[in-house]
Amino acid sequence: MSETPFWNDDWMRVQQQYWEQWGEMSRKAMGMEQPARTPWENAMEHWWQAISPATDKATRGFMEKMMNQGKMFFRLGDELSKNMQNTKDWGDALNKTFEKMQDSFAAAAEQSSEVGEKGFSQLMGFWEGPMEAWRKAAGQLPMSSDFAGTPKLFEQLLGTPGLGYTREDEESYKELAQAWLHYQHALMSYNHFFADVGTASLRCMQGKIGELVKDGGKIESGRALYDTWVAACEEVYAEHTMTPEYSKVHGELVNALMAFKKKWRELQDNRLGMLGLPTTREVRTLQTRLQESRRELRALRSEMELLKDQVAELRTPQASEAPPAKPKAVTKKVAKKKVARKKAAAKQ
Amino acid sequence: MSPFNFRPDQLAHEMGEYGRKLGKGVHNLMNAGEIDEGVTPRTEVYKEDKLTLYRYEAPNSVVQNRVPLLIVYALVNRPYMTDIQEDRSTIRNLLDHGQDVYLIDWGYPDEADHALTMDDYINGYIDRCVDVIRKRHKLDKINILGICQGGSFSLCYTSMHQDKVQNLVTMVTPVDFKTPDNMLSAWVQNIDVDLLVDTLGNIPGEMLNWTFLSLKPFSLTGQKYLSMVDVLQDEGKLKNFLRMEKWIFDSPDQAGETFRQFIKDFYQHNGFLEGGVRIGERALDLKNISCPVLNVFAEQDHLVPPDASRALKGRTGSRDYTELSFPGGHIGIYVSGKAQAQVTPAISSWLDERS
Repeated sequence: MSETPFWNDDWMRVQQQYWEQWGEMSRKAMGMEQPARTPWENAMEHWWQAISPATDKATRGFMEKMMNQGKMFFRLGDELSKNMQNTKDWGDALNKTFEKMQDSFAAAAEQSSEVGEKGFSQLMGFWEGPMEAWRKAAGQLPMSSDFAGTPKLFEQLLGTPGLGYTREDEESYKELAQAWLHYQHALMSYNHFFADVGTASLRCMQGKIGELVKDGGKIESGRALYDTWVAACEEVYAEHTMTPEYSKVHGELVNALMAFKKKWRELQDNRLGMLGLPTTREVRTLQTRLQESRRELRALRSEMELLKDQVAELRTPQASEAPPAKPKAVTKKVAKKKVARKKAAAKQ
Repeated sequence: MSPFNFRPDQLAHEMGEYGRKLGKGVHNLMNAGEIDEGVTPRTEVYKEDKLTLYRYEAPNSVVQNRVPLLIVYALVNRPYMTDIQEDRSTIRNLLDHGQDVYLIDWGYPDEADHALTMDDYINGYIDRCVDVIRKRHKLDKINILGICQGGSFSLCYTSMHQDKVQNLVTMVTPVDFKTPDNMLSAWVQNIDVDLLVDTLGNIPGEMLNWTFLSLKPFSLTGQKYLSMVDVLQDEGKLKNFLRMEKWIFDSPDQAGETFRQFIKDFYQHNGFLEGGVRIGERALDLKNISCPVLNVFAEQDHLVPPDASRALKGRTGSRDYTELSFPGGHIGIYVSGKAQAQVTPAISSWLDERS
């Protein structure tokens, strides 16, 4: 086996040792406490910690994604293999594997009602995906991270005394707090929606494997197991997210976050205004007016271009095609009309 | 009988293989170098604000269609998808088949562009680009190829400037925005778009990315990185993967006012079908389109379902309407080998017959 600066056979030996130990463990009595992370994951982590300082940011991002997915599908295979050692009934082994996962979903749903956003992050990695993506997207939007997970600040805002000059401020902060609470409720509903969907995807996975058994097929590798799991999750996800319920939950989540951000921005604008600094509101107005002016300028310019072209067109054929006598006749007619108008005006 | 045919030692072997590929792949990943954006040589012919109009260099040996073709890309993501790598370039393929190709690159709008409306894009930017090309070629009309949202914009443009369009090609273009299988449409129905735009100004590319990845979150944010491990050791394939990855996450912000109108008038009110849409001072009516129309769509498109595109049939005033169905997805229609062999030549010959 060839070696690169990032890989050597020692690492393979570590894995070999792991599986030997695991084999030993699997022969022992049931009920032994399982490590939270498999030694394979630990070995992988050690390897990665050793080489990651030498990698650039982009490489690190990709590697972490690949490692996370790798862990995911081996954990799935690992768990199932362990359960298969203890029973001859594949359905039972699968159920046990997924029971553990179902417990994770249930726990996540429970936690989500207590701590909002954080609950979902503890959910088994897979169904974390959509929520994680939302968190990242929401985090990218201006201002969200200023408030997320800051109950202390939240309490301070609610505790602001509402006397004298601060009365209006207090109202504004209360509205802000209400918007934040509303967002938390919307987020909770969103989390609950996915916790339910997670449970449905487990049933779908069992169904898919059941069908495979009927057709005499087999899952030949950890990767095939993972792919079946992905297919089950996508199928259930698509089914559920096309429903009016999801559309509502999703809409409420986005609207609630936007309402909170808008309120937050208004408060910021008020502060900036008091300091005599330009506010977002003012800048937007200027941008809109500027764009209107540019639009008008463009329209005038193109009208001017059109007129220029028309003038040029008129000039060219008149010079070459028109007989010399005609303009005089026109001039005469115009002159006669002018005289007639003058006479009429004089009579009046 | 158990459906699982793998033992712990096999799983160990699989893990070992995975780890080895990963370990060896780091080297290739770190040495992948700069990921290019488009491969075909081109010249800048017009610039306005963030927009650049490019003309692509055609091979000398090919006889060119006398009517140039303007590609109008979506405001979402970047147009180098159409020229992503040498053997998978829609643009290069069009050039090889005799088309004289221009493309509008919208650039990256920033907060100062938030007041740009659909009117500014369609009757402003697109119209001026068309005029530049008409003037350069001394022609009254040119050919237009609109892609996805750019296809919807092209339909709007042609309906208002039919006198400047010889032939119109729409690719994976939504027309009916409310087909039952349109996931994106289902998701935006309950969103308060006014609140969204009033709050954010421009719509961040990151948010759009989240939306698109959320359509297939497990495949697009997880499974594909396992597939990436399989190509890590092949420098060429790795580079192709990285190009695609770069494109997916290279998502410009969208001008707020344009986003507002596009989502409200089209996604929420299905404007092409229901009517009542005004772009600037003009009313939108697809019946004003009288030029030949080629409507190309992808059968496995998860972003613009085929029925969303098929809805164009019978809705224009054109007597020459053709459909081309491609057995692939929204992106595959540009980058797959099959698309290079089937779609691009078909578009080209359709244009040649009518130019």
